[in-house]
Amino acid sequence: MKLLIMPNSYNQAESLIEHIDGIIVGLKDFSVNMPAYFSYDEVLDFINLIKKNNKQIFVALNKNMFNKDLKQLRKILIDLDELKINGILYYDISIVNIRKEEKLVTPLVWNQEHLTTNYLTSNFWYEQGAKYTMLSSEITLDEVKEIEEKAEAKLMLPIFGYLPMFVSRRHLVKNYLETFNLEDNSKINYIEKEGKVYAIIDDEHGTRAYSHKCLNGIVESLKLNIDYAVLNSFNISDKVFREVVFMYSVVNETNALEFKEKINEMIDTDLGFLYKETVYKVKK
Amino acid sequence: MKKPELLAPAGDLERLKIALLYGADAVYIGGPALNLRANAINFTLEDIKEGCEFAHSLGKRVHVTVNIVLHNKEIDGIVEYLKELEKCNVDAIIVSDPAIINLALKHTNLEVHLSTQASTLNVEACKFFKNLGVKRIVLGREVSKEDIKEIMDNVDIEIETFIHGAMCSSYSGRCVLSNFFTARDANRGGCAQICRWDFNLLDENKNPLKGEKEFTFCTKDLSNLVNIKEICDMGISSLKIEGRMRSIYYIATVVGIYRKVIDTYYNDKDNFKYDEKLEKVLTRCANRDSISQFFNGNFGKESQYYNGRVEVSNQDFLGLVLDYKDGIVTLQQRNYFKKGDVVEFFGPNLDVFEYTINEVYDEDGNQIDIVRHPKQIVSFKVPKELHQFDMMRIK
Repeated sequence: MKLLIMPNSYNQAESLIEHIDGIIVGLKDFSVNMPAYFSYDEVLDFINLIKKNNKQIFVALNKNMFNKDLKQLRKILIDLDELKINGILYYDISIVNIRKEEKLVTPLVWNQEHLTTNYLTSNFWYEQGAKYTMLSSEITLDEVKEIEEKAEAKLMLPIFGYLPMFVSRRHLVKNYLETFNLEDNSKINYIEKEGKVYAIIDDEHGTRAYSHKCLNGIVESLKLNIDYAVLNSFNISDKVFREVVFMYSVVNETNALEFKEKINEMIDTDLGFLYKETVYKVKK
Repeated sequence: MKKPELLAPAGDLERLKIALLYGADAVYIGGPALNLRANAINFTLEDIKEGCEFAHSLGKRVHVTVNIVLHNKEIDGIVEYLKELEKCNVDAIIVSDPAIINLALKHTNLEVHLSTQASTLNVEACKFFKNLGVKRIVLGREVSKEDIKEIMDNVDIEIETFIHGAMCSSYSGRCVLSNFFTARDANRGGCAQICRWDFNLLDENKNPLKGEKEFTFCTKDLSNLVNIKEICDMGISSLKIEGRMRSIYYIATVVGIYRKVIDTYYNDKDNFKYDEKLEKVLTRCANRDSISQFFNGNFGKESQYYNGRVEVSNQDFLGLVLDYKDGIVTLQQRNYFKKGDVVEFFGPNLDVFEYTINEVYDEDGNQIDIVRHPKQIVSFKVPKELHQFDMMRIK
């Protein structure tokens, strides 16, 4: 299993390069739910770093696209295709269509966040050029295992980090502040309910909210045949993330439980939905 | 310009009939499997067949939602289920998952519409799904009128847009608040509407930012009655009303008003005048404020709703007409009313009229002053002819 990280800076990626197999970076104005959003030139710097170290790089273009985004999106896809990166994460289907129209060859990563929940749809997108699927973090370990058996695509699984819960075009924090004449220039806000606190970010692309606890599947990572485990640095200090990445890079049956405890001492973690099946029919 | 289809929700057979009788050209319903209203009553296959027969007898259509986000365990049996829907003679299925679209196109002759759950917002995404074989795309609710026009100018496909009803605060499919807060899966029909909960908003140092009301994700509802002329002129194929779990009164009122406004416009476009009285009736039957939302780019502070789950309980709906004979109406009570009340009757083929209730009789023929029991059957004199499915409301 390869380790991919979502770094919050070039320096972070550079400092962890020997412990990882690759990175996923967000491109400014075309990505959401990433720890940082980089300019195209900065992405080029990441590509150079990765190629120099013989690692892998995926670029996330995973926001919902509108007509006004399409011209620039097409140019970016064509430019990235020439750079021979390992893959492009997509949410919006415009990317699949443009790739087809332009006969581009860069593999896609089906990354529709909460919709990547089964092998059948993964296989559909595989035929459309998505040689990778980033699995949803709302499915169970058993579901992941079944997808491993039946999906054609190489699989990525979020294994560490705060999980995305909500993406909106609306400016929910800004609207609240304006409605009640409040002033605040926070780059990140939080919402609190019954003592639990959730990160919420409102920027030019809308609002996103994240889980209360940080997923940590370090023990579970050993039970899976996933091709890539993904560690997200969003809202985690460089120091903690560095230690976490190191532990994931050397974890084995002997040290997994000890590492799990160590990570839990640094940051409040849980296992997300790996053992928690959601329900949808509450009436008989 | 062809008159657009008016598409209404229906949670059961009664609401299907009401929607069609009050002027919907088509209804969309949830079947026994794979739809996003898992906790609605939903239709059995027999209900769907009966609903289709009823709709087709009126020259109207039935669309069935198959818009669940698939998990592995739901994969077996999809084709068989789609074939059952085909046997029921449904006119279209509404699907969000492209793998299901593929199966439907390969194994059935069903007409396939792409659900709004797919959040299709742009020309290129529309091209992809057209090439895949879908007949119609229900656009994501975040599109503006300019976005819709650009899509229609560049992709030759039927377009359906929402014109009325509740809104998700998020992009469809990108909210799992319900999963995290209640373990109910929003994308498989279990949404617990966490967006309507109140939260404390904090700054980056986790200090409170306290307004007069609590922070919420909740937005006002959508209403595009005021824009209906412009919407009709755009040539959109189908105009959709949200709300498969809404009451018959809500459906009758909303469908009836949109029907009336659309028909009035098409009957005499040059002299069309917007009727604010109808907007007031529409506003009264909703339980939250409404706004035109993204159609006119309204998603700023005016689109937010800060009353959380406090919603006005509407008690305008007084009764459903079951029968009318010899000047006597037989009515099923839906809210408290009494002798002496001034009420209004309305219906699919009825000009609204006022009436003061004089004498009321219960099922045993006893004269009563107050009708207070839910679904109580009563009768009283009404001078104008009424029909089954007409309704009585507060004046």
